[in-house]
Amino acid sequence: MPLRLLVDDGASAAGGLALDEALASRVGAGRSAPTLRLYTYRPHCALVGRFQDASREVDLDVCERENIEVNRRPTGGGAILMGPDQLGVALALPRESGGPRALMTGFSNKIARALAKLGVDAAFRGKNDLAVNGRKIAGLGVHRDSSGGLLFHASVLLDLDVSLMVRVLRTPFAKVSDREVRMVSRRIATIRGLVNREVTIAELRDHLASAFGVKDAGELDPEERQAVANLEESRYGDPGWLRQRTPVTDTAGRASLRTSGGLVDVHVAMAGRTIKAAWIRGDFVADESAVADLEGRLRWHSSDQGAITATVQDAWRHESGTVDADALIQTISSAIIQARDESTAPYGCFVTPETSHG
Amino acid sequence: MDPMSELSASDVPTDRHYDGAHHLWAMRDPASGRVRIGIDAIGLEALGELAYVAIESVSASVVRGAAVGTLEAAKMTTSIAAPITGTIVARNDDVLADPRRVNEDPYGAGWLLEIEPSMWDADAAELLSGDAVTPWAEAEINKLGAETEGPRGESSAAG
Repeated sequence: MPLRLLVDDGASAAGGLALDEALASRVGAGRSAPTLRLYTYRPHCALVGRFQDASREVDLDVCERENIEVNRRPTGGGAILMGPDQLGVALALPRESGGPRALMTGFSNKIARALAKLGVDAAFRGKNDLAVNGRKIAGLGVHRDSSGGLLFHASVLLDLDVSLMVRVLRTPFAKVSDREVRMVSRRIATIRGLVNREVTIAELRDHLASAFGVKDAGELDPEERQAVANLEESRYGDPGWLRQRTPVTDTAGRASLRTSGGLVDVHVAMAGRTIKAAWIRGDFVADESAVADLEGRLRWHSSDQGAITATVQDAWRHESGTVDADALIQTISSAIIQARDESTAPYGCFVTPETSHG
Repeated sequence: MDPMSELSASDVPTDRHYDGAHHLWAMRDPASGRVRIGIDAIGLEALGELAYVAIESVSASVVRGAAVGTLEAAKMTTSIAAPITGTIVARNDDVLADPRRVNEDPYGAGWLLEIEPSMWDADAAELLSGDAVTPWAEAEINKLGAETEGPRGESSAAG
């Protein structure tokens, strides 16, 4: 299926999101051609997931002080910070292209192929990440419009100001020191950090365009521009869109387990019966990439015992540290039980707090 | 165990109508005339566990095919396209507060909303019902199974 390529930089939060959704809707209705959009946001935009409570996930005071736009994505998942060094990849396809699951495989494989051209070996992990040795380098999502149009979205980290991110997106840290910034940095991978040279957005964009089989950039037609403007005004420019709340309750829980291999300490943040995020720390010995990988797999994960057992056992199957999978499963399950008794969670869900794994 | 191996056409009851494109069921109460709407088992298989559901307000007018809500599930977010035209007369508050109820009982306690239809006969003619349900369900399950068995089974994302 021939794809149109769109390229733009410096998108506003409302304008960037409106264009993505308008494309999905119009492509689904057969009014626009299937489109790949490779773009950046203006510095900076904090984008929460479709159903997140913005005030809980983002420090709105910091955003106002530092002129950071805040908006709500049509895709799910956690809050992200976007700017000139985070490339947005939006692919709008009609229903006839195939099932979302198979298409997501193709989408993530093409992004991984583009990263491989830059010397970055990324693999799909869990439900919504591309990761390098357990460290997240891209977040993925898919939204299906009522027209049947499918919007696949990724944010690829060319680089990231982790210090800014932990100030803007809420964390469980009592304070954000250099130590916390370093710890968060070890959970995230960037292209520049991995290849150790000044890769440009243009270079990354070229590799992505090539991976998707497109070359020359096209433009929106006047009707499309009007549709984007309408959606920007009616939805993404409406403060009520950002203020939305859901009846699903956010909770948090924590549990510790003393084992012969050391202390296991687990925090979980929950949205109803879904794990938004888990943080695993303690004084046991384990490969830090394995811990980061397990935390990544548990994001937006079922809290059912069977599902947790399967995920932990799979993630931990090659780990030869001082704690076994059963200890982790027991501690995570206890934290979930504790969360069910909590009424509110004090923080959001995007990062990993202090850990002592070496 | 792969849940796909457990899904069969018998999981799609023939006592109601289906919007085949969106995997929503519609069941009319002959006494009140109201139509209850929910997600069918095949649609839920594609979505995974539901985390959030939002539905338009009671009294809102809805048009068949237009969005009447949104949900976030393990594998994607999706608009909920109204299978019939009418006015929303009820939302399932239990599901809005705990969306996993849909996965647990999609045809019963996991219903999403009720619509007072304005053109039921015309809309119902566009939906699948009766003898058409089982062959359609079998074909959809085969389609979903083929997709799941693709090159990398762990493929879809929640965003």
